[in-house]
Amino acid sequence: MTGTRVFLTGVGGQGTLTATIILGQAAMDKGIDVTAGEVHGMAQRGGVVESTLLLGGYRSPRISHGEAHVLLGFEPLETLRALPYLVAEGGTIVSNAEPIMPLGVTMGRETYPSLDDIRKRAEACASRVVFLPCQSIGAEVGALQCGNLALLGAACATGALPLTPDDLIAAVKARLKPKVVDMNLKAIDLGVAAVS
Amino acid sequence: MSHPLLNKDGGERHLLLGNEAIVRGALEAGVAFVSCYPGTPSSEVPDTFFRLSPDGDYTFEYSVNEKVALEVGGGAALAGAPTLVTMKHVGVNVAADPLMTLAYIGTPGGLVLLSADDPGCHSSQNEQDNRYYARIAGMPVFEPSSAQEAKDMTRDAFELSRRFEQPVMLRTTTRVAHLRGPVDFGPRPGALHGPDFTKNPGRFVPVPAVSRARHIALLENLTKIREAVESSPWNTVSGNGEVGVVASGMARAYVADVLDEERFSGRFRVLNLGLTYPLPEEKLANFLREVRRVLVVEEGEPLVEQALRAIAQERGIDVEIVGKGKHLTRLGEYCTRQVRLAVADFVGETDATASCPAPEKLPMRPPNLCAGCSHRALYYTIRQAYGDNAVYSSDIGCYTLGLLPPLSAADFLLCMGSSVSAGCGFAKAQDKPVVGFIGDSTFFHSGITGLVNAVYNRHDILLVILDNRTTAMTGHQPNPGVDTTIHGENPSKVDIETIVRGCGVEHIRRVSPYNFKKTMAAVEELKALPGVRVLIAEEPCVLFARRTLRKARPNVAYVAEQTEAVTRCLTELACPAFRKDGDEVAISEHQCAGCMFCMQICPDIKARKRSQS
Repeated sequence: MTGTRVFLTGVGGQGTLTATIILGQAAMDKGIDVTAGEVHGMAQRGGVVESTLLLGGYRSPRISHGEAHVLLGFEPLETLRALPYLVAEGGTIVSNAEPIMPLGVTMGRETYPSLDDIRKRAEACASRVVFLPCQSIGAEVGALQCGNLALLGAACATGALPLTPDDLIAAVKARLKPKVVDMNLKAIDLGVAAVS
Repeated sequence: MSHPLLNKDGGERHLLLGNEAIVRGALEAGVAFVSCYPGTPSSEVPDTFFRLSPDGDYTFEYSVNEKVALEVGGGAALAGAPTLVTMKHVGVNVAADPLMTLAYIGTPGGLVLLSADDPGCHSSQNEQDNRYYARIAGMPVFEPSSAQEAKDMTRDAFELSRRFEQPVMLRTTTRVAHLRGPVDFGPRPGALHGPDFTKNPGRFVPVPAVSRARHIALLENLTKIREAVESSPWNTVSGNGEVGVVASGMARAYVADVLDEERFSGRFRVLNLGLTYPLPEEKLANFLREVRRVLVVEEGEPLVEQALRAIAQERGIDVEIVGKGKHLTRLGEYCTRQVRLAVADFVGETDATASCPAPEKLPMRPPNLCAGCSHRALYYTIRQAYGDNAVYSSDIGCYTLGLLPPLSAADFLLCMGSSVSAGCGFAKAQDKPVVGFIGDSTFFHSGITGLVNAVYNRHDILLVILDNRTTAMTGHQPNPGVDTTIHGENPSKVDIETIVRGCGVEHIRRVSPYNFKKTMAAVEELKALPGVRVLIAEEPCVLFARRTLRKARPNVAYVAEQTEAVTRCLTELACPAFRKDGDEVAISEHQCAGCMFCMQICPDIKARKRSQS
């Protein structure tokens, strides 16, 4: 099989699942076989939210360690935590560079790893690594959650997905409410621009 | 415009959640009646039916618990309505009583019971395998492994149930409930009805003489169903060779992906089981005769494996059967890595799929009570009054998250409604005071009977009913006490205090947990009294208040002066809106829900207007 396994991870409330669905719709609209997975429940309350998108004919909605061709991290600590899911060679990482602090860190009990260290470890695991400031991009275009579309735009621009930025743009136009389309398209542009 | 799930015509394709696909399948089968008790991972099924109910032609209800849901649904099915009853796996424990007898008397209109199992305990207190229930009751089981199958199997489960007038189980797991995939729609005929009920106490009233005859009828019916299962398209054989794999339920997906890999492709004869009870014994026997060795891959208990061993033994088939073992355990969910290891092991090979390491001991993100959650305020107050001197009997809901320090407000828990009764028993057996915590939805579910028992048997417990005016944990479903739902005001509200009084409880206090002084005073009063005492702590769930009740809280808390008291507030309350910047404590305006509780326990925290942004 020449499919693509995409592992998405973030923090509850960030909109990771919505991003997964948009990417899945874009793939389905393009005629690509899609299986996606997510786990709801207690994870919503500030916990880690992981989802998967398997393109090209996979039946399992799960991704095991060493199987993800693409890792999309909506939060840098979660990108770091999810590194074991990435294929040992030739993987792609696209990650938000701006942290959301866990409670243990804000309470002063734990230390957030340095962003430098996260980047180095990501680069040691993957052959292509892109970090982009999603919250800042979201703020720039008018809504924090648009940062997710910037990340998806960047992911499409790396060529690691069977989707182009134009496929994503078409899905956003077809699937999102008209009043949020423009700001999300701007976010996609900024995401694509972050991949050089 | 009505929702695509309600479209009459077939031919469309939509990307659906497994649970949404079940809704479409039931609609394509002409479902006329839906009852449920919500519970992850089943909840999106009833929630979708509820959301669409103003435009649907079916009757829908959130029942107060699973037993009631199945009884209401059972009655509807007896009256001729194709009926879907949904619940999570532990809910079937609650519904087991009516289930066993429904299978005896049968369900002429057709009844499908969705049992959403949770291997891996993503959001449950155990990972019981409800295929056992199907065997105890004697009901056919469908186990989908994709969104398309979830839709089609639901439709076929109804067809089978109506044809044989037997209840049928649709058994999902968290993974299939919450996967997404493209689903091709068939036509939706509109709600079906009939046959009309014909009075027949000799069938429908299971006094002993009737029950004995109905047990015979059930077994005869199961034999006929097994014959139908032999030719079901949901159980298929593919591939060639002397080495076989039998895959059942969701495990079929993991097996399919692994056997599609280059190293394994074309090497196995595979039997896929989607309609997994009664098992197609002839088909299985024929499969066993064709192979020399077979690997059985099923999550949970080794039910298919045991059946295969019995079939081989009875028919004298010489075949090696490999099932549960080192890689394929009875624990949790399976995945492709696990199945890959098991398949490699089975054929005497190894697998060394490499992966990148992540550093150990990264900061975790454990689930936590939300900023401004009234449960935190209540727990804080109770701890001020009792500290570690009381034993805390908890229950199922968001408030179970109070188990974590610093609130440490849960010492034991069994199941829905157990806080009252288990707390009573605990108090009889030792000397410490017992405080029980139960939510409003859980109280309606099965707390009331425990409370009646507590009064009648003169138990000694302080029960706190954490009434947040909704079923918060599973996604804000209505319960009998709620003021509002997504479809407007609740026209037939049931009042908790009236019930508590009606149960015979004399000492009742009703407070808002956001008011520290008044709550503390009520707790101290009740603490000094013996017997059954009830504190109703009433405050809408902070998320529900914002999203559904549209309640705005204009003020936020801020730290006016950095003092010991502020640090203590951060440590003892553990509100996620607080953060530590070096030695200083700050409160995030973005996170602060404006509950104003912290400033009542700490004089150095003040309120100010939320800035406009």
